[in-house]
Amino acid sequence: MTAPAPPTQLQTSFILREYLRPQMLPSTWCPGCGLGIILSSIAQAVHFRGLAKDQVAMVSGIGCTGRMSGYADFNTLHTTHGRAPAFATGLKLARPELTVITVMGDGDAMSIGGNHLVHAMRRNLGLVAVVVNNSVYGLTGGQLSPTTPVGGHTTTARAGSFERPMNLEALARAAGAAFFARATVNHSFGLTKMVERALSGPGFALVEVISNCHVLYGKMNETPEAAGMMMAMDANTVRSNPTLQRRARLPVRLTDAETPAVPAADARPLAGVQTDTRLRRGVIFERRGRVDYSGRYYAQSAPPGDDEAA
Amino acid sequence: MASVVRGVYHIEVYRALCKACGLCTAWCPQAVLEPDAEGYPLAPGLANCINCKLCERHCPDFAIEVSLAAVEKRA
Repeated sequence: MTAPAPPTQLQTSFILREYLRPQMLPSTWCPGCGLGIILSSIAQAVHFRGLAKDQVAMVSGIGCTGRMSGYADFNTLHTTHGRAPAFATGLKLARPELTVITVMGDGDAMSIGGNHLVHAMRRNLGLVAVVVNNSVYGLTGGQLSPTTPVGGHTTTARAGSFERPMNLEALARAAGAAFFARATVNHSFGLTKMVERALSGPGFALVEVISNCHVLYGKMNETPEAAGMMMAMDANTVRSNPTLQRRARLPVRLTDAETPAVPAADARPLAGVQTDTRLRRGVIFERRGRVDYSGRYYAQSAPPGDDEAA
Repeated sequence: MASVVRGVYHIEVYRALCKACGLCTAWCPQAVLEPDAEGYPLAPGLANCINCKLCERHCPDFAIEVSLAAVEKRA
């Protein structure tokens, strides 16, 4: 007789009662917005890590994602635009025992707060940052954002964006983050696992979550429905771990029947030449060893006997 | 292996939280959920529910819950 498998998800009523502020709900997010799925993933990851909610702080900036801290029943800070990593750094230095989760949107983290994000990664304190990437400035009316894909139509790029989207993976690697993972709201069980791993490791852990803005971005790009936009995520991303790619047929996310097949083995490109433009999802990199620098920020304890001598 | 149990589950939709986005009906693999005239989910095929909880997991508004019918009655 084997032990029962640990639960992979929580009951909705349990999340509502334990980890949310039901009096603040329903949220102001549009119907079908993936932010609610991300919020429930964070709550489940905190639960499965066994963290008390008084020991967790959620820091958010401005934007649709910035509202998440109003709905979560942790210690929450709703801060200025783009400065969530700066506030989180200060909070972590003042209260090192807290688990600090920073939630930011793509405009918040990469446009106005890009500088703060880079330096938070450089300092490598034990923070967890969840960057919700929906390819567009959602709250302000669907303008072009740094992550809008080439050819994506927005309200300020009617003919399609011609700029290269920002690569958060390369930025995190260069700036020295300890952990980087990418998930989508369509692959939400993986999303919960990514946040769990981010919560468990030392150093700055960054999780990029590809979300949907079908109301502002999707309707200009032929995916006006939330479900259709989530379906497209399945074709637009690929598992980072090749040995796990075969498991992609499991029915835990919406799959389009038109999803292109994996290229045949003889079509394999030269080593080191990346021809697949799909974003990789999964744990992209993880640095081991002593990556958390938070100990350097506190004054060294005085050698014993100094107080009496003085 | 044990076969899939059906017909013992209860689906609760919290209408005050639901925004009729249609994600739960899109995710349901057993055609349990159907949208009504306003887009809110109904469960005409409740007998087919296999308790996969994909609707519950992917509801962005925490508005749907699948539970054992017996537990629901006791509560």
